[in-house]
Amino acid sequence: MKTLADLKKIREKAQEDMKLRGGNVRIKISVGMGTSGIAMGAREVMKTFLEEIAARNLSDVLVTQTGEKGLSSMEPVVDLIEEGKPKVTYGNMNPDKVKKVVVEHIVNGRIVSDYVVATGD
Amino acid sequence: MQDISLHLLDIIENSVRAEAKNIKVRVINNVQKNRLRIIVEDDGIGMDSHTLEKAQDPFYTSKLQREKKVGLGIPLFKQNAEMVGGTFKMASEPGFGTVLTVDFTLDHIDRMPLGNLKDTLLNVIIGHTDVDYCVHLIYRDKAKEQCFYLDTKAIREELGDIPLTYPDVIEYIDQSLFEGIQNTNMEDV
Repeated sequence: MKTLADLKKIREKAQEDMKLRGGNVRIKISVGMGTSGIAMGAREVMKTFLEEIAARNLSDVLVTQTGEKGLSSMEPVVDLIEEGKPKVTYGNMNPDKVKKVVVEHIVNGRIVSDYVVATGD
Repeated sequence: MQDISLHLLDIIENSVRAEAKNIKVRVINNVQKNRLRIIVEDDGIGMDSHTLEKAQDPFYTSKLQREKKVGLGIPLFKQNAEMVGGTFKMASEPGFGTVLTVDFTLDHIDRMPLGNLKDTLLNVIIGHTDVDYCVHLIYRDKAKEQCFYLDTKAIREELGDIPLTYPDVIEYIDQSLFEGIQNTNMEDV
């Protein structure tokens, strides 16, 4: 059984980790979680991002979710926001595409242009 | 929406959009009463009686700047509950928040499954770290009652300055929810 005491250990480890790399967020991933996004599989898309990021121990990547913004026909929609770079919006996402975006874009810094539906603000 | 957990995700997103800072989610599997009850309670901006009525109309949305003026989230959830002998109730007070109570007949053959409750809860907890969640899962039958409780405020206090989005913390919450769902027999409802 998980207990609050387990969190103490995590906290100690995380504090060490934060000291080493400063706790910066390099990339923010924002998954559209409006009604149409949810119906099209946005929850699985977000879950896959969380799993892939945990598997690669990318502690400088933040996954969050937002409402919808009028791209309903391209749901699930995901924004990748990187400091100092234009925002990249990926559309029609699914778990396989997420895995590719994590490897190509987040790890190797190459935008997966096939999945891009919009860029900039 | 294929299952109740996806509707629940949609409803919680509504609460977040209504600027809720505390969201209470209860799922009660009451075998004795043959009832599956979902309660979502938030402290968001709330709705007046006119908006509350409108929210159940598919051709209404509170989302601004939308070309298509439809909002299917609430009407579909209501329909899916009422179709199988359940009920859908929403109460709200402007400035205080909204409470939504949805009941499903547990053994109705056409009732949609509960679905992946764990991923819905994990998503909203990790996706909106400025909101605190109280999650209460309850299983009740003739012989016993089993409960699971998760409070993100308590987790946050233990963590101090470490964010909920830290990978090990996500795994901790994921694992806690998994155990809680198993202990309250919610994985195959």
